[in-house]
Amino acid sequence: MKLISRLLRKNTSPARIAGFVLSNFIGLAIIAGGVQFYTDARSLWASDDSFINNDFIVVNKQVTSANAWDASESEFKESDIADLRSQPWVKDVGEFTSTDYRVWASVSQGGRGMSTMMFFESVPDQFVDARGDDFTFEPGSDEVPIIISKDYLALYNFGFAGSAGLPQMSESIMSGIPLRLTLTSDDGSRSIEMRGRVSGYSNRLNTILVPESFMQWSNSRLGSGVGEKSPSRLIIAVGSPGDVAIKDYLDSHGLEVAGDKSGSAASFLLNVITGIVLAVGGVITILSFFILLLSMSLLMEKNRDKLHSLLMLGCEARSVSAPYLGIVVWSSVAAFILAGGCVVLLRAYYLDPLQGLGATTGSLLSGLGTAAAITLAVIILNCVAVRKKVIEAWRV
Amino acid sequence: MIERIDTITLKGMLPKVFASESIPSSDVWRGNLTFERGRFYLVEAASGGGKSSMCSYIFGARTDYEGELLFNGMDVAGLKMEEWQRLRRNNIAYLPQELSLFPELTAMQNIQLKNSLTGSVEPARIEEWLHELGIDSRKDYPVGRMSIGQQQRVGIIRALCQPFDFILLDEPVSHLDEENNRRAAAMIIGEARRQGAGIISTSVGNPLLIEDKIKIRL
Repeated sequence: MKLISRLLRKNTSPARIAGFVLSNFIGLAIIAGGVQFYTDARSLWASDDSFINNDFIVVNKQVTSANAWDASESEFKESDIADLRSQPWVKDVGEFTSTDYRVWASVSQGGRGMSTMMFFESVPDQFVDARGDDFTFEPGSDEVPIIISKDYLALYNFGFAGSAGLPQMSESIMSGIPLRLTLTSDDGSRSIEMRGRVSGYSNRLNTILVPESFMQWSNSRLGSGVGEKSPSRLIIAVGSPGDVAIKDYLDSHGLEVAGDKSGSAASFLLNVITGIVLAVGGVITILSFFILLLSMSLLMEKNRDKLHSLLMLGCEARSVSAPYLGIVVWSSVAAFILAGGCVVLLRAYYLDPLQGLGATTGSLLSGLGTAAAITLAVIILNCVAVRKKVIEAWRV
Repeated sequence: MIERIDTITLKGMLPKVFASESIPSSDVWRGNLTFERGRFYLVEAASGGGKSSMCSYIFGARTDYEGELLFNGMDVAGLKMEEWQRLRRNNIAYLPQELSLFPELTAMQNIQLKNSLTGSVEPARIEEWLHELGIDSRKDYPVGRMSIGQQQRVGIIRALCQPFDFILLDEPVSHLDEENNRRAAAMIIGEARRQGAGIISTSVGNPLLIEDKIKIRL
């Protein structure tokens, strides 16, 4: 085998192989670095809630002076929903369901009481990604979990508490305060007393959310039963929240995204920049792949007579392929190791500042896995090309 | 899978390059010729008659022919590369006219390269063969620096470093004197008889000196 390897590796150009390793390393490092940064930084713009998936948006019709007094103008008709469902970026559409009765909530804390009228909404269960079993309701239970907007807490703390001489509250304190709920039918004939518990806060849902099962149960007990109202808000599962087609559609149909704090614009920019970086890395990687492919082809062409003679002696195809596959594998693995090291260093450089900004960073596997997959593809394609060349040399 | 080749038949075979030409009468082309294991054949022809083509076809190195090539009566047109490689290691030995030695390797390395694929000949036996053909003192010389006659002797020894049912020799002694021709022939015959194999040797004027041969006109 050593003699075969010595014969077939003659004419190997270290400069060409080094050229491949260098260019493949640069291409892989750019791609893997881009993917890694995207994975790590994405959470900054994705408004990650603990209980709702990133790839949902909540939309409503813009309220204008023309439709301010006619609620039906801001409702979504069946044709509106069907049109939305037909969009390629829409995976699923869910309707917000409102209470068909009145809700009165009261809190008593340290001898001081406070009460207010309020409302509930719910969305289908598949849109609520509740971690743990906190956000569930069993009919017959006297406690209902509630998710409220973080903005409500901020309004209370910074707008109301100070001026009313009330203490400010953290999320955990707020969650510990028992909420007394009185649910009364519109005609006042039926009423239910319940306890409310704030189980979570959302950046993106400007509502007071209860489980779908509670909404159905309470509406059936207290609702007027006068047909179902059309929804005025929809929750939509989308492929990528940064997709420019979403913004175009919403603008052209007079819809606005609830709770959108310019995250989608930043997310869109992140997508575009990542796309450009990946494209540049991809082009360099493809070029480096061709450098290796051409180097191997040239080397095997120069050694074609030797290859043919060895096959005439009865050597197995895999034996005469082995020296070339060795060059392909080792040079590709070397480029992968260099690129992997580069990604690890790059990540160590930006990880602390990124976490300081509040990002929930992803796994290092996303960058290294991408580089490994590309390396594997480069190796497999070159192995196929080497095998083809060997078969060509087999018969004159 | 072919375990042993007892007969090689050339049925209506003709190199495609000859298809549009009128060729002289021949025992091989467009004929029905069978080589039998254990018998010795001398194929004689003028230069350009297609001897090397015939050897390449039998060895599976070329397929540019019309007609059929049969091993044990079975058409070999559909044999896969792996099967041909196995036949080349275990059933058919071949010394091409151009020898196909590796000039940068020594005589011994060229022989060992083949023997390492088959593991069929003891190193001491190889030394004996080198001595018998008078090239033992040159065994560590790069083949590229040896004369054509010496290279032919290295090629003959290399061809014998495997088990075979047939040995194909394309003008094996064209650059050897009569004495070396006799020694080479004795060595080849001895090995063929030991294995019960057939010899197919070609010549344009300096044939391998073997007795009891069947002459074939190409």
